[in-house]
Amino acid sequence: MSALLEKHIIELLQERNEKAISLLYENYSDTLYGVAYKVVKDDALAQDVLQESFIKIWKKSETYDPTKAKLFTWLFRITRNTAIDKLRSGKSKQEKEIQMDVSDVYKVGVDGVNPDFIDMRENLLKIDYKYQIVLEALFFEGMTQQEASEELDIPLGTIKSRLKIGLREMRKIYIEPMLIFWIIATILL
Amino acid sequence: MMQEKIKLFLDTDLLEKYLLGTTTKLEAHQVERYIAMYPEVRKTYNELQENLEAFANSYAIKSPEGLKASILSKIKAQNTTKRKFMNYAVAASIAAVLFASATYFFYHQNLSLQEENSVVTNQIKLLEEDMKQRLEDVRNQFIVLNNPKTKKYTVMGNDKAKDLKAIAYVNPVKKLSYINVQNLPQLEEDQCLQMWAEVNGEMINLGVINEAGNKDNLLAMPYAKNAVGYITIEPKGGNETPTVDNIVANIAF
Repeated sequence: MSALLEKHIIELLQERNEKAISLLYENYSDTLYGVAYKVVKDDALAQDVLQESFIKIWKKSETYDPTKAKLFTWLFRITRNTAIDKLRSGKSKQEKEIQMDVSDVYKVGVDGVNPDFIDMRENLLKIDYKYQIVLEALFFEGMTQQEASEELDIPLGTIKSRLKIGLREMRKIYIEPMLIFWIIATILL
Repeated sequence: MMQEKIKLFLDTDLLEKYLLGTTTKLEAHQVERYIAMYPEVRKTYNELQENLEAFANSYAIKSPEGLKASILSKIKAQNTTKRKFMNYAVAASIAAVLFASATYFFYHQNLSLQEENSVVTNQIKLLEEDMKQRLEDVRNQFIVLNNPKTKKYTVMGNDKAKDLKAIAYVNPVKKLSYINVQNLPQLEEDQCLQMWAEVNGEMINLGVINEAGNKDNLLAMPYAKNAVGYITIEPKGGNETPTVDNIVANIAF
């Protein structure tokens, strides 16, 4: 996401221009849909979450403060929390209904994977599983560090350090190669 | 010391919780203060944000076709309902203003009607009292006139007022007397007739006889033994003491 485009979208949001939503969808919907899907693990639910999140983003656009968070951080918070809420309200409903077939839902999700991101998925696999499981618990399962510690049977201190290291590892795999690529590209051009 | 404080802060999971938006208000406030004060914290927070984006990107899935159009139409619909709501709000405001001014108008009308009502009520009361008074007068007059002891005197004017004709009724038992002026003499423009009574040597002013109103009225006179009534010609508007030269009639009871 170029800083210039991000700035432009923020301006449109603050002007309450509907074009902002269009641009946000074009640039962020795949990632946010991935986040929603990762949390709810269901196609239809993830679509609902994405739709509700975008409507919340539009409604709350006046409350967004660019000095406090990057645009993506804000979008991520809204989508993640909408998805976790959906999952919680859905879970209470599901308890009365038939248990969903998790493996089935998962397959649909795999079919929906964008080939553009398959490389990234492979990159993710390069992070040690022990970091990945902590990041997913905290970021997608809506667990607190305390809950993750209990759920995964890992001491709280270890959860904290794995979160920090895991995020740093992500940086090494994803952002730094990109930076080097851009630096080389800039020098060459 | 400061480095230690920053390290301690970074060792907590506050910054990560803030990143996900799961801090309490108090915690968020603390984190924002650290970010504002310490460049190291700010740098870490910015890195965390970039890492989060990278991490989330690694889970990206092609978003479903058609969802964008659905979201945009929902947002447009919301905006129109908002606009519709605004229209209704404007209409409601206008109605409210109209209602308020109508209320104000009727309130004032009501006030002035109430005022008018109290004036009318007072007038009716006054009229009633006046009527009662008059009826009482008439009753008293009737009692006097009807009493067998009442004597009737005809009063005629002297040479100065030949046309003057009055009738006096006196009842010594009830100690009441009345005079009824029947006919007035022709007077100069600036003259009038005034009635007096001499009671125990004192002249009492009984008032000016008006040409129009007094013909059908009985004028009450103070009663005293050996009282003498006089009618004099006086300057228009009446006099304080009778002009003896202008006596046109006297009534001795």
